[in-house]
Amino acid sequence: MPIDFDSIAVVDSMPSYTSAPITRMHLARYAGASGDFNPLHTDETFARSIGLDSVIAHGMFIAGIAGEAVTSWIENKYLRKISVHFLSMTQPANLDDFENTRDRATVTVTGTVTDKYEENGEKRIRCEITVRDAQGGRKLKGFFVAALP
Amino acid sequence: MADKSKLGWEFPVRSIEVPKNKIAEFAAAVAQMEDIDHIKEIYRDVDAARKAGYDNIPIPPTFPTCFPFWTGGGLMGILNGVGADLSKLLHAEEEYEFLAPIYAGDHITCTMKVAEMYDRGKKDRKGWYIQVTVLVTEAFNQRGELVLRARTTFMER
Repeated sequence: MPIDFDSIAVVDSMPSYTSAPITRMHLARYAGASGDFNPLHTDETFARSIGLDSVIAHGMFIAGIAGEAVTSWIENKYLRKISVHFLSMTQPANLDDFENTRDRATVTVTGTVTDKYEENGEKRIRCEITVRDAQGGRKLKGFFVAALP
Repeated sequence: MADKSKLGWEFPVRSIEVPKNKIAEFAAAVAQMEDIDHIKEIYRDVDAARKAGYDNIPIPPTFPTCFPFWTGGGLMGILNGVGADLSKLLHAEEEYEFLAPIYAGDHITCTMKVAEMYDRGKKDRKGWYIQVTVLVTEAFNQRGELVLRARTTFMER
């Protein structure tokens, strides 16, 4: 169903979106796609050398998943702003211990519409978004602004 | 640690073309898809994109994260530009303001400036002292229109 300004109310929820369990393969793929080759995300030996237990996901990969969640609800062309603040690191699932590590690596994006207003001659909404892992750990908070018909 | 004398410094201006296949690759990466046949149609099929109201294939919302890596000399180019230390680096915040559409085939010229540098916490309390650097990127298309303003905040712990 197409979404318009009048059909959305403050405190409405964005449909929640859950990722697949993030693996090191996803991080390698994202590194190549984005051009962010910080070895922190793909090289276990570098991660250990700076005191971490394993590689961690790119913050912008988590943000990208949030962007995918947002544009599964609001069409890309209506977005005016997206802003994210990273709260904690995300370790990928270990394939040799998947059952015990999948929850830390599975993230769910939720959102709540907090404002409706007019700006620049457009009808806009502001929606706060949060990303949590399946253990409840907060990964990211932020918001987006969209101009709706 | 970041070199405070770099405050206000501007990276060399560089231009890139937004490749169609790179958009599909990025869309597949963030949607955790194995192949591009399963990504949203607007990111792989120009006819589907036009039908959905776009002039060409659009970019996913966080795609502009690529621009500084492609125009700033890669991650190390950016870090060397501000004197930051990779082993202490954390990405804190990112914000994109979309001012006009960006499509596959657009020629994007990016300016990137070291907009803020400041400290948080006290040096004598370990773990509480961080240095914050804010980069502001502005992207213009081939018609000279400002299409995007980005704000990247990173910290050195």
